[in-house]
Amino acid sequence: MNWIQHNWALLLPLVLGACGVWLMMPGARSIRPLGGLACLGALVLGFQLVAGSRDVSGSMFLVFASATLISAVLMITSRNPVYAALWFAVVTLGVCGLFLLQSAPFLAAATIIVYAGAIIVTFLFVIMLAQQAGTSSYDMSSRQPFCASVTAFTLLGLLLITFQSAAAQQTVDGARATKVAAANKSLNLEIKLNAADIHKSSRPLPNEELGQMRGLGRSLFTDYLFAVEIGGTLLLIASIGAIALAPRRAQGTL
Amino acid sequence: MSSMFSTLTTFAADAPAPAESGGVVSLVMAQLPTVITIGAALGAVLGAVSYLIYVERKLAAFMQDRVGPNRVGPWGLLQPIADGAKFILKEDVIPEYVDKVLFILAPCIAAMTTMLAFAVVPFGPVDGAPSFMRFIIAPNVDIGMVFIFAIGSLAVYGIILGGWASNNKYSALGSLRASAQVISYEIPLGMSVLGIALLGGTLNIEQILLNQAKGGITQWYVWTQPLACLIFFTAALAESNRLPFDLVECEQELVGGFHTEYSSMKFALFFLAEYTHVITISFLTAILFFGGWHFPGIAEPGSTGLLATGLKFGVLLSKVFAVILVIMLIRWTIPRFRFDQLMGLAWKVLIPLSTANVVAVMTVLQFGWSKWWLTAVSLLLFVVAGAIGVKQAHDALNRSGRRPHAKPETSGGHVAHAH
Repeated sequence: MNWIQHNWALLLPLVLGACGVWLMMPGARSIRPLGGLACLGALVLGFQLVAGSRDVSGSMFLVFASATLISAVLMITSRNPVYAALWFAVVTLGVCGLFLLQSAPFLAAATIIVYAGAIIVTFLFVIMLAQQAGTSSYDMSSRQPFCASVTAFTLLGLLLITFQSAAAQQTVDGARATKVAAANKSLNLEIKLNAADIHKSSRPLPNEELGQMRGLGRSLFTDYLFAVEIGGTLLLIASIGAIALAPRRAQGTL
Repeated sequence: MSSMFSTLTTFAADAPAPAESGGVVSLVMAQLPTVITIGAALGAVLGAVSYLIYVERKLAAFMQDRVGPNRVGPWGLLQPIADGAKFILKEDVIPEYVDKVLFILAPCIAAMTTMLAFAVVPFGPVDGAPSFMRFIIAPNVDIGMVFIFAIGSLAVYGIILGGWASNNKYSALGSLRASAQVISYEIPLGMSVLGIALLGGTLNIEQILLNQAKGGITQWYVWTQPLACLIFFTAALAESNRLPFDLVECEQELVGGFHTEYSSMKFALFFLAEYTHVITISFLTAILFFGGWHFPGIAEPGSTGLLATGLKFGVLLSKVFAVILVIMLIRWTIPRFRFDQLMGLAWKVLIPLSTANVVAVMTVLQFGWSKWWLTAVSLLLFVVAGAIGVKQAHDALNRSGRRPHAKPETSGGHVAHAH
């Protein structure tokens, strides 16, 4: 009980959000306007937790974060799969806005190219081919909406609480950490970076701006070389597999 | 865009505690050149688009031995204004069973994304601009090229949604083709520019331009990267859905393709998007491969002053106009591809060639050889690809036994196809 009193500011928006999403899920008992109101309330209460920085990047953060969250809720609750895919695209764009605020323009552009430009377009491709005769019954009602929303928001709550307790333990250091931490500070999470934890290659050179592609490339091909190579090999194997699985032209496709 | 944010955030950092109203006013004042530039660029693009349509119609008429538009004004010069007025005054039909939201959203997305891509394209000498405006909307974007590709990859949404929301089989087929085509051609488009990025060590478009201008005409990337130039131009043409790649709105098969159900201003927005895209890719071709505003003896990087700025601006615009004319000439020169040929061109020709080109650039840079080897490699790759293509076409014709003189009874169909 004491713990609930201590953490009510975190728990209240979570509970409200879970109720809102449950109400908005497509189905017989869905009350979308009420669910929408509850979700908005959860959003506003959640942003109360965020330490208010009133400068431009602070308000930009609020705009992008709320756009991302609202579109995410609309994505999982929309009845029409095409609209769901489009809301997913908006989620991606919002997240890219957050990347830009964190001085990671290349990550933002690459995410737009890969997710919004290729993956979601492929989703739309499939949905359009599958959906010639209007929405089907499984689009009209969701399965287990209550369990799904409770589980999801429990996970989210656990994640946030873990972040908070982890942040309390970590120490502050490093000049580079300040810029990264500036945005995190607005989340009230206070994730501090230890300068020793950042590899030397990842730090920008003296005459270099933070978030330039040069630094990213250096870091990817020195510290994370094996991860990059393994990822590349995986993609190669996947594409070979796709070619092997695809039917030959003689077998009657294309 | 990122530069816009950094301008905003650095501004906020410079003035730690501004009075609420004073902060807003000076914030607006700081962004005034950007606003003026956006206005000037938008106005210029809109005006240019309407007269490019006139140029295209005149050119089409010339190539087909016709007269072309000549009724409205002298030599038909007022035709674009009449067309514009018609677009505005025409009845705006929204068919009965369409998805209204997406139906209206689609042309907006199409026009917006192509305009947004223009933001990082310098349309004049950036350092010689007057103080109240700039020759680029968002200056100093480190990832300029990647930004253009990112925004360009969003442009396909306009076509897909327009085709799907129309609730029409032909439109849906057009948009399905569009999604496959645009995704495929994004790969060679990005790969072809990688060579330039490696040679210049940057993806910043202004920097790429300056690299060429400082080195003189022999440093234009078209000499060392001719194959990349060709691949970039082809892929960009395919991305903008122009002939010979306009499978998306192929009239003979799909009525009007994705825009069959559109009329009036919504159709005009699609049209505007296509022409803005053409303008953007022409600017990119001129800047990335043909030295931008640089021309020996006329516009050198050292020259300053109003006259020099005007000359540079003029040189860049003439280069861009030349590229646009080439695009329009190609429209009436090369017939439209079949869909499997279109996909084959991207996956079997352009992607391997651009990969080979990137490998060549990396090898030359790694071993410090003369970069003129790249010209030789480009020409060699071009010849080899051509030889393989001819050989395969020859074999395919032989194997199927459908050569005109091989089997007289099937020759009729084949001859018709060959024409």
